[in-house]
Amino acid sequence: MSMKEFKIETYQKLLKQSNGVSVENLFIILGKVQDTFGYVPREVVRDLATRTGFSETRIYGALTSYRDFKVRS
Amino acid sequence: MKERKVLTRRVGKYNPLDLKAYEALGGLQGLKQALSMGPELVVEEIERSGLTGRGGNGFRTALKWAFAAHQKPKPKYFICNAEEGELGTFKDKVLLDGDPWAVLEGILIGAWAIGAEQAYIYIRGEYDKTYSLWGKISVEAKKAGLLGKGILDSTLSVDLHVVKGRGLYITGEELALISSLEAHRAMSRPKPPYPSEQGLFGKPTVVNNVETLANIPVILTNKAEEYQKLSVREERGTRLFSLSGDVKHAGVYELEIGSGTLEELINEFGGGTLNGRPIKAVQPGGGTSAFLGRAYLGCKLTAKAIRQAGSEMGTAGVIVYEEGKTAVDIVRGLLEFYADESCGRCAPCRIGVVRCKEIVERLSDGKGVAGDLERLREICKACISASTCGMGQAFPLPVLSALELFPEDFEAVIDKVSA
Repeated sequence: MSMKEFKIETYQKLLKQSNGVSVENLFIILGKVQDTFGYVPREVVRDLATRTGFSETRIYGALTSYRDFKVRS
Repeated sequence: MKERKVLTRRVGKYNPLDLKAYEALGGLQGLKQALSMGPELVVEEIERSGLTGRGGNGFRTALKWAFAAHQKPKPKYFICNAEEGELGTFKDKVLLDGDPWAVLEGILIGAWAIGAEQAYIYIRGEYDKTYSLWGKISVEAKKAGLLGKGILDSTLSVDLHVVKGRGLYITGEELALISSLEAHRAMSRPKPPYPSEQGLFGKPTVVNNVETLANIPVILTNKAEEYQKLSVREERGTRLFSLSGDVKHAGVYELEIGSGTLEELINEFGGGTLNGRPIKAVQPGGGTSAFLGRAYLGCKLTAKAIRQAGSEMGTAGVIVYEEGKTAVDIVRGLLEFYADESCGRCAPCRIGVVRCKEIVERLSDGKGVAGDLERLREICKACISASTCGMGQAFPLPVLSALELFPEDFEAVIDKVSA
């Protein structure tokens, strides 16, 4: 899969296509971010934390436990 | 022994994106039947068919459905478990790629039976093409009115979320899968409460294997009575056997349950062992099932017969090992995998599997120490009795059975050490 360079606009478009983020689709959104950029950028984690009310730690805790999620480019 | 293609009868016969072709081949009859019967009768029909889960545990599908259907809290969730991670198991992929609409039909009927409006299919991350196919399937289904509100002009409304797994074996376990969908680490927890009471987001949830769901439309199209004619008395239907290991023709073969023996499967479909050497052992139900020695090759392919022989039918992933390799090395391979994959939630599995691996690695490197075999047995037994989920309870089974079946392999390496 070809990866796109991270741009906040691309991420926002992706959020819009998924009708926003909630606890119900957080895992799916994280997956789409990973598949689009090849990793889940810090800005995205911060933004998703704000939107879902989870702490960044909570999201990183989950992300780093999966083999196929990367947190660095 | 002959293949009996029931679930795989359409595989390769149509373009998986072509819903019209699927209908022309008898598709959607089961769903239409289910919608006209109403949820309670659907559960009854599945109950009469005697269908059991194909994901490893062999739990009665209708019971799961009935539990969830009787729960009051809403919303309810229906999950198709397509995180096919068990070693030597690759049968779900055949259905997901070759006859996806039948699986979708199963999901819709299941959602109808328990009253779920949200459905998920959790596809193994390594199945990249399958995942993109299902993305397209869900779009096509929406266009055709098979997903969304008022499916086929009924009161059934279902949204399907296609989710990709992220490379962890443990997400194949239903509670770990649920915790993964909640964007937690993938970890199991003690049962009860069962998912049918408190599953995804604490709501009633049913998790079914792909092959189980592919059976559903077959049962409803032909009625339970027809379905019962398949196979032996207590166990109904067909099973998809994933045959691999030291055989000439690895592959997926659909057989009526109980229609043949392990040996017939290996010789007639697998073309015998890879190098023509005699069979040393077989794992009949995936990587976590106990080894069966040569004496049990005449074992009938039913869950009951395999259990009596001392193993489990599990996922029906038959792994064949021929003579030439020592049991120590075979077990080492398995333990290295499971040590990597333990989720770490409960101590017996987290620590036990690593200690087992260390001992077996030591043995296979010729550095075993006195008492290693006793220690290995002891840790295995502790893991079986104290682990939370199926993984911790099952990974010791091949280890213990190898110790029992091939003591000479293990004693040989111990002898070398003390000499």
